[in-house]
Formats: sequence, structure tokens, C-alpha cells
Amino acid sequence: MGEEGTGGSVHLLCLAASSGVPLFCRSSRGGAPSRQQLPFSVIGSLNGVHMFGQNLEVQLSSARTKDTTVVWKSFHDSITLIVLSSEEGTSELKLERLLQMVFGAMEALSGFAEAMGTGFVSLMVSGRVVSATEGWWRLGTPEAVLLPWLVGSLPPQAARDYPVYLPHGSPTVPHRLLTLTLLPGLELCLLCGPRPPLSQLGPQLLERWWQPVLDPLRACLPLGPRGLPYGFPLHKDILGLLLLHLELKRCLFTVEPLGDKGPSPEQRRRLLRHFYALVTSTHFPPEPLEKVEDDVSRAQLPRACYLVLGPGEPGTGLRLIALQLGLRLLLLLLAPQSPTHGLRSLATHTLHTLSPLL
Amino acid sequence: MASPTLGASRGSPDALPAGSASQEDEEGDSAGWTGSSGSCASASGSSDDLEPEWLDSVQKNGELLYLELSEGEEESLLPETPTVNHVRFSENEIIIEEDDYKERKKCEPKLKRFTKILKSKRLLPKRNNKKNSSDNGPVSILKHQSNQKTGVIIQQQYKDVNVYVNPKKLTVTKAKEQLRLLEVLVGIIHQTKWSWRRSERQGDGERLVVHGLSPGGSAMKSGQIVVGDVLVAVNDVDVTSENIERVLSCIPGPMQVKLTFENAYAVKKETNQLRKKKAQSNTNDLVKLLWGEEAGSIPQNMVDSPHIIMYLTLQLDSEISKEEQEILYHYPMSEASQKLKSVRGIFLTLCDMLENVTGTQVTSSSLFLNGKQIHVAYLKQSDKLLLIGLPAEEVPLPQLRNMIEDVAQTLTFMYGSLDRSFCQVENAARLDHFFTLFFQRALQPASPPPCASPSAWQYEASSAALLDNLPGVRWLTLPREIKVELDTALSDLEAADFAELSEDYYDMRRLYTILGSSLFYKGYLICSHLPKDDLVEIAAYCRHYGLLSLAAKQRIGQLIVWREVFPQHHLHLSADSSTEAFQEPEGRYFLLIVGLRHYMLCVLLEAGGCASKAIGNPGPDCIYVDQVRTTLHQLEGVDSHIDEHLASSPGPCLSCADWFLSGTREKTENLTASPILSRLQGPSRTAASPTCRRTLFGDYSLKTRKPSPSRSSGGSDNGCEGGEGAGLSPHTTLDAIQKQRDFPGSDCSEESGTLLKITKKKSTLPNPFHLGNLKKDPSEKELEIYNTMKLTSGPENTLFHYVALETVQGIFITPTHEEVAQLSGSIHSQLIKNFHQCCLSIRAVFQQTLMEEKNKALSGGDHADSTNSLSSLNPVKEYGVLFECSPENWTDQKKTPPVMAYWVVGRLFLHPKPQELYVCFHDSVTEIAIEMAFKLFFGLTL
Repeated sequence: MGEEGTGGSVHLLCLAASSGVPLFCRSSRGGAPSRQQLPFSVIGSLNGVHMFGQNLEVQLSSARTKDTTVVWKSFHDSITLIVLSSEEGTSELKLERLLQMVFGAMEALSGFAEAMGTGFVSLMVSGRVVSATEGWWRLGTPEAVLLPWLVGSLPPQAARDYPVYLPHGSPTVPHRLLTLTLLPGLELCLLCGPRPPLSQLGPQLLERWWQPVLDPLRACLPLGPRGLPYGFPLHKDILGLLLLHLELKRCLFTVEPLGDKGPSPEQRRRLLRHFYALVTSTHFPPEPLEKVEDDVSRAQLPRACYLVLGPGEPGTGLRLIALQLGLRLLLLLLAPQSPTHGLRSLATHTLHTLSPLL
Repeated sequence: MASPTLGASRGSPDALPAGSASQEDEEGDSAGWTGSSGSCASASGSSDDLEPEWLDSVQKNGELLYLELSEGEEESLLPETPTVNHVRFSENEIIIEEDDYKERKKCEPKLKRFTKILKSKRLLPKRNNKKNSSDNGPVSILKHQSNQKTGVIIQQQYKDVNVYVNPKKLTVTKAKEQLRLLEVLVGIIHQTKWSWRRSERQGDGERLVVHGLSPGGSAMKSGQIVVGDVLVAVNDVDVTSENIERVLSCIPGPMQVKLTFENAYAVKKETNQLRKKKAQSNTNDLVKLLWGEEAGSIPQNMVDSPHIIMYLTLQLDSEISKEEQEILYHYPMSEASQKLKSVRGIFLTLCDMLENVTGTQVTSSSLFLNGKQIHVAYLKQSDKLLLIGLPAEEVPLPQLRNMIEDVAQTLTFMYGSLDRSFCQVENAARLDHFFTLFFQRALQPASPPPCASPSAWQYEASSAALLDNLPGVRWLTLPREIKVELDTALSDLEAADFAELSEDYYDMRRLYTILGSSLFYKGYLICSHLPKDDLVEIAAYCRHYGLLSLAAKQRIGQLIVWREVFPQHHLHLSADSSTEAFQEPEGRYFLLIVGLRHYMLCVLLEAGGCASKAIGNPGPDCIYVDQVRTTLHQLEGVDSHIDEHLASSPGPCLSCADWFLSGTREKTENLTASPILSRLQGPSRTAASPTCRRTLFGDYSLKTRKPSPSRSSGGSDNGCEGGEGAGLSPHTTLDAIQKQRDFPGSDCSEESGTLLKITKKKSTLPNPFHLGNLKKDPSEKELEIYNTMKLTSGPENTLFHYVALETVQGIFITPTHEEVAQLSGSIHSQLIKNFHQCCLSIRAVFQQTLMEEKNKALSGGDHADSTNSLSSLNPVKEYGVLFECSPENWTDQKKTPPVMAYWVVGRLFLHPKPQELYVCFHDSVTEIAIEMAFKLFFGLTL
């Protein structure tokens, strides 16, 4: 989510909160890992200002220059994470979430030993969860996001047995993430305790359970990049789509619904991401609203939000619209020819058609 | 922090917090600091050959701020005491005995002074008998001047005041506040830390000068203690700041305590008691009027909320290592702000380090202080750093960024550069005042002045966040005839052709060239002959000192402001112009503002160039002041016409949000049944409504002929669907179904009952739109209504609010206070507040776009940039947000409250000239922002 960019650089620092000793530093430039590290003195002062404030009961949370945002966050009084990003469209909220994710990924201790594999199973295609058991969906947000990342980032293998630590369910024992490649690009993931060993999940089990559903599985494969069932009716102006369910914490995301006119998928993805950052930081809270709110904000609820981009003449420029209906938040990237006044009805319509999916 | 208590400002007697503490004249200007309101009007009206009354108020550096309210205004302020009340904001020091004052003066450099709000009318015979009293010194605004009819004031050195104190009430007081018994128990605020630090030390303790009275405290209740008094004894025990807390802590229980005060200024006790109440209220009005703040002590919530302004140097002289030497200026002194001051290391480090790492300057940072989020904005100029920190709750980050730019711009305009404003010692007190005003505006928009109507005030408060920082001036479009008249008047003035000013008259070079002038009426710009940059800077200055709102609320007897200014536009041009380009003369610039009634005329003068060079710190020249005032007198007849246009501006009609919510389909139909509207939209709409009701309401609409109110949810939406049918968006249908569920037929009668009430109520509302035009004959009236611009498309008017900014001329238009006041309604005022908040965040995105565009222009249209821009959200040219709202206190549990949806849409135009438009309209009709913009901006020229 965070670490790719358009030429901007991201520096991530992790320090021990008490001593200020750097535990690790990572940098990336233009989306690729970079060796160019921040000088030690800078790391020291970045941590220093935060510590200085803390001693005076002032918690420094963020700072901005014209193109860079810095966010500080400390976890459990033991670790301070600092991220410094000069990517375009970076919002503080996004960086803060990144830090939470990083912390989650780092967290070394977790374990509910009773989870014995069966409860946590999912099918993944190209890093997207196609189907999963209830238990899998109940995983905390960090795990639910990180596990697919992890699976996607590992080199392709027929089967893996990977120790993972779940940041959300805390204590001691590492869990095992078992993955089995059923078809190229389609993986079965299991999250389980010390047993069963990978070997037990061998061929016989697979055949017994998965042979009958092989055809549907094959049908899943091409969905990968598109993220939507084939032939799903979508308006032709829609270039990209992000549908979030705030309570289920699932999202549906695609930048290639049809055709490849207009901006490249990468650009579409970035636009949607920036738009998401914008609307979540201004109008739509990223979490479901609690009912306890003062009257003023309750009386004036934002429902939809749109942007028209581009400096050019009227009628040119991409459109972005966000629409919230209940717990669903839909973000659309639309082609320039889509009329502004029709954006909302288009979004409402799309949201209604997509609702059964999520 | 230094309270804005007007008598309680920090600093030495000379370095006054500018403005709030206008100071006694050092020349011992005994002439008359008081005057009766009866005479002042006549004085202000005449520009005779006598020495002008403001002449004594001119300060050493030539600056002048002189204000007199008009007779009517003063009488309304103080209805029962027609004499008196000449008020002046004064610092306690002044009020102290004169020898004392002079003594202090000797040991300190004569600093310049800033403001005077006073009356000085020595030339008018009427006041001669009052001279005696005036001789004693100025009357503080916080004092209650005695009855002038007696003509005699007994000066007392000391006075005893009995107050009731109850230490038992102190249970709530926390331990750390134990040093403030004086405040908590007696209600006297004395700020130990800084006041008197330079001047007044007596023995071990400081003198206990009353810097303020806490509201509701015993001291205030007594009515005899005024700011500036010095507490010398409690029950005959001598007290200083050293022992006061000990003495007070000895009070065992509830009792009367005798406080002995050294009288700063003679006050006749008896009259004092009698008129205390009246005088106090009058005082408050004027204080608020000028400084937007209550006299008396500063509200606790403002003291508690952490806010700070600091000006720090990044270059430290390592030779002299002094504590806090990097702080060149900071304000305020409150405890909450000290914390922010103490972490300035963070700001300095970030400023230095982030610039090194990222290559761009730090703009802001956020931190948490006691669980409260504080944003800090940075502005770095060469090796100095300006910091402003305010709670995020009150001031969102985009606004804070605008505010710091605004502060820097205004200070630069006033002093030439930030360095000059912060580093010159004599400015410290003026800056204190400047930032008192600044923080009051930022943190305390929430104290409605009693004089203004609540709705107008609410509008002012909710719109300030956006409008205060727009790079433009609020403009009132006037019809051509009036405009020509105004233009002619200003041109005549600018030509400077009048006898004394013509060069032949005295056969010498004229003192100043008039570069341009702009005319404000009730805070609206109505005519301007100034370049945009000058106009914006002058308006920012006026806004900051509350002059615009002053003219809006009160009739000014006379206002004269004179100061040297540094318009960046002129100064910069001369700095980097090429040889061929027009060379700005190396001149100096002066700003002259003359206010009369609701008018304010700002004139920018240039010395040097064609005119003779200015030497020293020239004060205002009588001839110029008189000439400007004469111009204003010429315009006296016009103001009634302008008032008319304020009430019914030629701008687009507005609807009130509440009409859309409270109403039902019947209302819609009935309202649209007005003859004018039906002419507009054809007869089809009204057909459905029952006849009886229609006649009833038809009657109403005939009476008031409201053109705009129209649409409500239910029925008309259904009607719309017929029209929009082709659109067939699923949500419309959905909405309609929902609405039908919401308003089932069985409810109709009941609803119409309530509706009846509503409309009846509405019809009793005074509607200046119509009443103001009574003299016109009916047909003309109708025609005018017919021609009134309707911004929204569709048969009904669905526009709630708008702001249109035109940056080339530096003006913006938005509905006038009068217009908004007509649309009262709880939902509507919430909507307006929300609109401005939303526009602020929209504008932040636009500003980003504008900045990128500027960069692009600078880099000469780099190709790498353009590909890059495809993937970021820039440039954004249109930004819309849909809101839903429902009525508060919806009591009916069975039915879901009706919901109204409205759009807030911002549109940025880069070509041909930068313009910004923000509109708020009902969701029922699809609007195209461009079309609205075209209608709004059409014909919008200075």
C-alpha cells in the first residue's frame, strides 16, 4: 500500500523508544528499495525532537514541508517508528496506517494456540482473497491485510510452511502459514498451529477436497487482475473502482474493468489511492462512525464527493467520485466524457449492483 | 497570558499595546480628553478652519488612529446618560498620578504610541467647563466617568471598598493555583510576571495593580474597583504582590473585607455607583466593537487553550549565551502557551533538519498537548522563523496556513518586513495588541455582540474562517448610476486638483501623490481605484484591526487612520524592474483612512516621485484629511441607495434550507403558486393542489411575492421525475419511493397544518427586499423581481449560498449579511457553517493546484511534470461534496426524520484568469458549476 511511489522517496525508521538506538532503517525511491539511507545525524534528530517533546509532555505527531510529510508514532512505549515520505498525495492518515502495518508486521509475539488450521483458510488469486472461512475474515485488520501481502510477495512455490506472527491476537507462539498452490496463480492458505505438518496436507487430502471443484477454480483464475466476475455489468466510463465495506473490512478493487484506454493501470491505481487518502482525511472517516457524536456533525453528513481533474476545457479531465451508503464506500475513477452531473447516479447505480458482491 | 483586558496590557507606559491602550498624551494634553457626545457630532461634521480635533492624537512616529462615534450611536449605547462617556482605552500606567508617570518616562526612551480613541475638543466652548476634570488625565474606558453636569470631580488619592469574600468557595481550586487567591477570592487579576517588570518596583514586592476583574467576582460586583487601581491594603494591612497571597489566605471564613486602593484617577464615588451599570455596558460595546472582546478579564477558555506566536532567530550569537536568546518575540504569556514555548527546540530542529533532508521548507507540524491536538505553522524568512500554534479543534490546518501567510503579509505591509516589525523594541507592545486581536479572532468567534442581530453575527462567525483569508475583498455590486457617481467622486479626489493641493497654490511641490483610493460601505468594498495587491493588503489591515466590522455595525462620527505602509507591490516592482519597464519611484507610502458614518475611504499616498520627499515621520496632513472627508460628505446622499442594495443585492436569489425540510408537498405547490413564479414556470405545477388551500396560500403569496422560496422535498420531487424522467438514475426512483413512504397521504392534513403555521410566520417576517422598494410603483417592483438573477437551473431556486472569488481584481462576492439574515432557520445556519468549513478544505486542494501550476509555469512546462500530474490528483478543477442533513430534535419516533441533501461544489478556473467559485445548492436539480460561475462572474468588475 504505502511503499511505491512516483519518484518520491520514503524512509522508514524504527528505533527503540527508550534508548533511541536505531533498530532498522528502510528507504525506497520511486517504489524500489533504495540503499540511500538517511544520515545517522538526521535519524538522531528526528528521534530527538520526538523524545524531547515527550519529556515535556508534548507528543509530536507530524510535520509537513511543501512536499514531504513526516509522521512519528510510538508503540507500547517500546518502539518508535518514524516515516518520512515525499511521495505525492501522501496523507498523514496513510502514513499513520503504514506505521501501524509496519508495527503489525514486526510484532513478534502472537498466538492463540487453539487455532488448529481448520478455522483459518482462504483461497487467494494473485494476492486477492477469493474465498475464505469465517475465521479468516475475523482476523484483525492488520493480519487480514498483511497475510495476502505476504503470500503475494513470496516467490512462487508449490507449497510453503511459513512461520508468521499475528500482531492482532497477541502473545507468544508463532503460527504457521501453510500455502498450497492448487493451480498456477491460485493458492490455498491455511493458518494453523504446530499441527498438522505440511506433509499431511499432501496429495490425498487435496484430491479429496479440491478435485470436485476444479472447474470453478479454473474459472477463478482469469478474475485475478480484474477482480470482478466476467461479464459483470459495469458502466463503460468506469476506469477504476474501489469498494470498501467498513465493517467487514473487505474491499473490492480493480483498475481494469474493461479496455485499456486512458491512463495506465498504474496511474489509475495511484489516482484512486490518492483520492482515497483525500476523502478519508476530509469527509469520510475510514472507520464506521460511532453513534456518539455532537449534533452539528450529525446534522450535516457528507454522502458523496467528487473531483474533476485536469486544467483543460470543460468536459475534459478524469473524474473521481466517492459515495458512501451505509457501511459501503465506493470510489470510482471515471473517464472524462462522463458528465459531472451524472456522476452521482452512476455511482449509486454501480454501488447497488456491486452490493451483492460485498 | 496578557489579557485583553483593556486596561491591563503589558509593557512599559510608553510601549503600549497598541490600540487597546491608547495612551495619555505626553504633552500633558490637558485640553480635553472628554467631551460630550452632544458636541462631538457637530465637530466631526464641520471641517472648519479650526485646528482639527485629532491633531493632538498624532503620535511621535506620525501614526494616528482616531475614532469618534457618531452622536446617535453614542446615545444608543448609553441611552440614559446623554452626557459623557468619553472613552479611551487606557493603560493603567497612564491613569496613575502624573508625577509618577513622568518619572518613569525619564528613565526610558520615549517610545512611540499607537492608538488613541478619545475626544479632544479644546476649541469648543461647551467643554470648557469640563476642562478641570480633564486636567487630571484621561478617562479610562474602564472607568466610569462621573456626571459631567456637576463639572467637578473630587480627586481622591485612596478609596476603601468593602467586598464580600468567601474562602469556602475555594474547594474547587487546585493546589497549583494557590498563588492566585487574589483572583479567585476577590476577583482581581494582577499579572505578576511581566507587568511592571521594567518600571515599577517598590521594595520587595510589586505594586498590586488591578489588571482586570474576573467576571462575577466580588471586585466586579462591588462596582467600585476599576482597572488601573492599585491595591495597597487589605483590612488596613499593607499588601504587595509579595505578601498578598499570605494575607488573603488568613481570611478564615466568609466575611466583608476592606480593600484600600490607591486611586489611579479621581472618581466620584456616588455617581460612580449610580451609573456603574450603564457605563459598563457602554464600555463593553465599544470595546467589543473595536477589539471584539469583552472588557474585563479574558475568558478562561481562551487562557486555557494553548496558542502561541513566536518569532525565533536561527542564527545564534554564540558569544553571548543568554537564556531564551533565540526568542525575538513571543505572545501570549499564559501557562498553556508556555508549554509550547518550551518545546521550541522541536520547531527549530525540524525547520533546520527537514530543510536539509528534503530540500523544502517545513510548513507545519502537529503535536498533542494534554491530549489536545495543536497545529503549528511555520514561515521561514531568511534566518528567522515565524511560528503560530493554534488548537486543531478551533483552527483546521489549511486555515492556519492561510492565517500565517496573512499575518506575515499584514505585518510586512505595516512595517516593511517581518524583521522590522519584530526586532524593533518599540513595536513589542503594538505587536502584543496585534496578536491579541489575532488570537481573539481565531479562538473566540463565539461571543455575540449584543448590538448585532444574532443571525448576522452567526453568519459572520461561521464565514470568517473562509472569507478572512481569501485574497480578495468583499464586494458589493451596485447599479451603474451609483457606481458612476462613486467613481467620479473618487476620481476627483485622486486628481488632487483642489485649490490647496494644486501645485500652483503655494508654488511648491505637493506633499503626496494619491496613488488610488477605495471606498468601503459597511465593510463592503463598493468602489476601488487601487491595484489589486494594494487593495488586498489594505483590506487585510482594516480587517485585522476590526475597522471593517466597525463601520458595518456602528455609525462612525469620525475615524482617521494614518500610517506609513509598505505596499509590497510597489516596493518589489522597483526592486527588480528592467530598464524599459516603468520604474517605481523610490518613494514612501502612506495610508490614510477616513471613516464617516458607514463609509470608509482608504487612500494610498506616495511621497517622493512626483511629490516632495517625506522627511522623518510626517503626520497626517490636514488638507488631505479634509479633502477625503469632503469626498465622503459628497456621498452622503448615496448611502440610502446602497443600503437598499445591501438588503436586496443584485446577486442571485437564495433559498433557505429550512423551507426544504420543514415543508411538505403542499407548501411547495402553494409557494410556487405565487403569480410571478407561475409565470416563470408555467401553470402545470400547481394543478394538483387542493383549491381551498391554494387560495389561502395564494393570498399569502400575493401579499409577499416571494420569488425564491419554492421547493421542498416531497411532491415537487415527484414532479421533477416527470421532467427528468430520461435520467432514470436508480437513486431518483429510490428517493421518490422513500419519500412517499415518509409522507404517506394520511399525513397530509396534519402536515399542512404545520405548514400553515410556518408560512404564516414567514409572512410576518419583515422582508426588506420588498419593503425597501415601497416607493417604486408595483409594476416596476414586479419587473425587478422578475429580473432578479436565478443562479440555479430548474424551475425553482435551489441555491443556498455562494462565494465567488475573482483574483485579478482582488474581490469576492457572497450574499450580504442582510440577505442571509432574511433566511433565518436553524438548519440553514448550520448549513452555512458547514458550507464554509467544507469550502476551506476544498480551497486547500485548489491552493495545491494553484501552487503546482505556478511551479509548472516557472519550470516552463516541463514534460516530466505533465506525465507526473496524470497520476497525482493535481490539478483539481472541480470538487463537490454532497451532504445530508435532517432537522434537529426530531421528536416523532415513528417516522424517520425528513432528509435534505445538498451539494457544496467548488470550482477553480485557471483560464483566462484565476477565479474560484463555491456554491451550495439543493440536490434536487442537477447543476453545472460552470454555468453558475458564468452567471455569477458576469459583469463583475470594479
